[in-house]
Amino acid sequence: MSFNTDVPPWVRIKAMGYKIVDVELSRPLAPIELAQHQDGVGLIARWHNRLVGFEMIARPTAGVLSAERLRSVADQCFAPRILVTKLEEELLRQRPVAEPALPNLSIAICTKDRAERLSRLLASLDDIRWKSAFPFVEILVVDNASVDSATREAASRFKDIRYVFEPRAGLDFARNAALRSATGSMIAYLDDDVVVDRNWLEGLAKAYQDHPHAGGFTGLVLPLRLDTEAQLFFEKRGGFGRGFNRNEFHNARFDNPLHPVGSGVLGAGCNMAFDRALLLSLGGFDEALDTGAPLPGGGDLDIFYRVLRSGRPMIYEPEYAVYHEHRETIDQLRRQYWTWGLGMMAFLVKSRRTDAELRARHRAMVCWWFFDRLKELARAARKLQGRDFRFGVAELLGGIYGLAGEYDRSRVRVQSIREQNQ
Amino acid sequence: MNDDAFSVRQIDLASADAHVGSGDIPSLSIFWWKDLPLGMQASLPDELPYTEARLRQLAAEFSAAQLAARSVALGAPLRATYEGWPKSVLSLAAALGVQNPLGCLDELATASSASAQHISVVICTRDRGPALAQCLQSIARQSSAPGEVIVVDNSRNATARPLCVRFPNVRYVHEPRPGLSVARSAGIRASRHDIIAFTDDDVEVHHGWTAEIARAFAQWDVEALTGLVLPARLDTIAQRRFQFDMGGFGATFVPLIFDQRFFEETRPSGAHVWKIGAGANMAFRRSAFERVGSFDERLGAGAAGCSEDSELWYRILATGGACLYEPRAVVFHHHRRDWPGFRRQIKAYMKGHVAALVVQYDNFGDRGNIDRIWKQLPAYFVRTFIKALFEGSPGRTRILAAEVQGWLAGLQFLLRLGWRKQRTSNWLRKKTDDPQGSARTVPVSKSISKGPDRRPLLP
Repeated sequence: MSFNTDVPPWVRIKAMGYKIVDVELSRPLAPIELAQHQDGVGLIARWHNRLVGFEMIARPTAGVLSAERLRSVADQCFAPRILVTKLEEELLRQRPVAEPALPNLSIAICTKDRAERLSRLLASLDDIRWKSAFPFVEILVVDNASVDSATREAASRFKDIRYVFEPRAGLDFARNAALRSATGSMIAYLDDDVVVDRNWLEGLAKAYQDHPHAGGFTGLVLPLRLDTEAQLFFEKRGGFGRGFNRNEFHNARFDNPLHPVGSGVLGAGCNMAFDRALLLSLGGFDEALDTGAPLPGGGDLDIFYRVLRSGRPMIYEPEYAVYHEHRETIDQLRRQYWTWGLGMMAFLVKSRRTDAELRARHRAMVCWWFFDRLKELARAARKLQGRDFRFGVAELLGGIYGLAGEYDRSRVRVQSIREQNQ
Repeated sequence: MNDDAFSVRQIDLASADAHVGSGDIPSLSIFWWKDLPLGMQASLPDELPYTEARLRQLAAEFSAAQLAARSVALGAPLRATYEGWPKSVLSLAAALGVQNPLGCLDELATASSASAQHISVVICTRDRGPALAQCLQSIARQSSAPGEVIVVDNSRNATARPLCVRFPNVRYVHEPRPGLSVARSAGIRASRHDIIAFTDDDVEVHHGWTAEIARAFAQWDVEALTGLVLPARLDTIAQRRFQFDMGGFGATFVPLIFDQRFFEETRPSGAHVWKIGAGANMAFRRSAFERVGSFDERLGAGAAGCSEDSELWYRILATGGACLYEPRAVVFHHHRRDWPGFRRQIKAYMKGHVAALVVQYDNFGDRGNIDRIWKQLPAYFVRTFIKALFEGSPGRTRILAAEVQGWLAGLQFLLRLGWRKQRTSNWLRKKTDDPQGSARTVPVSKSISKGPDRRPLLP
């Protein structure tokens, strides 16, 4: 890369973003042209329309990512996965299995004052809902105490959307409202800051047909945009990615003695689906978690954990994929890391109280978590990575604050919200 | 959950009812595609039985690795990397071009029908009658019978003789001088065929073992071969700790070439030859012993502890040879059942490892061996200790203590070498007036042939 001499180099680097490109590998690879302000590619790879990989490729020379470079990335990162996928399809062809009938599906979108993003998501759903294999698909928009009518208007612009208003602010209030008003026997939750992949419903259908007894499903979360430094940074640190292999989770796991306490590995709350009857029998989501500020996290960890503890498995399915709009600014991102620490510890404090059987594991998880974060901090300090260090500190402090009674404070707050809205 | 015995199951993924047998007790499942071992997985009752979809996914993942490692069109053969693992060289074009992958897999899974008449099987034993009987029975069931079976009895009073008489095709050799290396060398002297395969008395071999060894040596121009060592039983806590915490005898299910590049890459930290395989399942061409000598009698059970096998691979690699790891040659090893025995074994492993590093340094003068004793191993102890503290596996620290004891016990070999070095270098200096004269600069060929323990073995 050649630098313009009258602009200091760091100014240019800061302005850079990555172009997200969707590539079909079964067709010949073509070079990818980048715009002026882009200095990398976020490559979404498919093979015969199935998602097989995502890679971030930095700094192609002269604004073009050549076909050769693309091929070498594909050789390294996608070829093994293609071979696995081929074998899987071949095995299925040789030994076809009886496919259980799909359930009625309710898609619940919980949103608050984000009409624009909601429209974007509804548009992406509109493309696929009519073509899906599910016998019946309903879409519920749960308006979580929005201040104006923009959300209602956005929902009304699409065909066949059920609009539910939940006056009590808090994501898990909204999720429980959706749970009660839904009619499908399976309920799929989406956050309003995502867009669904074109195979989203097919992925969910496939996971269900292979595992009809699963209590829940989680899916892949890819970045929607990589335009800002914060988004790039977040994705480079792993983002929400949980890989391109399907994974099964049960009440115990041989390779992790702390499982299922570390339920973060299952996926993320912005893209998850459950057997609705099971959730109702578990009492729905914990409304004291995921309340928005000051405790905007932990609800997904808690519900994954309780589903697994109920004895039903959960399935992570990479083709059940969404694109998530990551936090745009560094400050928002730091806030998110704080939230992760906070939510994790609030969840652990709660589970320790409600699930006496696994108390030793909760305790060990707290130890492990702090040990792991301190290790990360030490690594960042050693390598002089100031930003990693500051984010690490934010997460650690969040964890300490969460351990120090945040769950109880949140319960008090939630109780007063309930009383105000009676 | 660590208290329950694990059952060891064999699951053939090529058969349609594979999912029926996976059960609901803690188990280590070993997956096969007909006669080709694919991989293994330990599971708790909560994760069992495997669903049909899960087995399909496992079959696809395992067989993709087999195809990439064994099909020449996809980049086989694979070389071992620094970690002792393969690095796939699969290209996008090759992956897209694969036609009929299951047909290819079926072809790869065909059992060997090669004749094993040119193979001598050598089993060294010492006072383990019942285990030896099982071992000999498994060898009697080979699909291709080996040219000869030699039992070297390393006990003082020839206790294995009555047992061996019961097996008509077994030649019995008594070697009263204690030491596994001594016994193996006696076995080599007694053997008559071109390929010499070793296994231990606590092992049961797969029925295709000798046939697969014959096929591998016919296909590859290598001097040494190792194979897959699977656990036979996981009943006791000692057996499970050995398999799961200490990694057993390895879990690689794809063939690998260990060549000069592997040797050079790992040389700075003492050439990681122990990643090549295990003495419970190894074979050599006779020419290898003629070229680099036999097992070092200072090493091995009965002497320093172990690593006599890896030290021999070190010599082969250091002098330009190559070793092949071929997991199609399968044996099942009975790990120690009792905890004190397991601890002693771990201690002996570490002691033998340090001794082997000293011997390798003595032979070839690679500083990497000494660096490993003083840097890598202590660092490994500290890392393991911290990890065990925070991840809360109390058993691991007890194992670690045995390892540290073994390491300390192994340091004596370093001291002894130091004393000997001093003497010889003084002696050299007087004799040649060469101020640089020391064993470190002795060329490879000389160092191989020197020393009382590496006399030519063949009559």
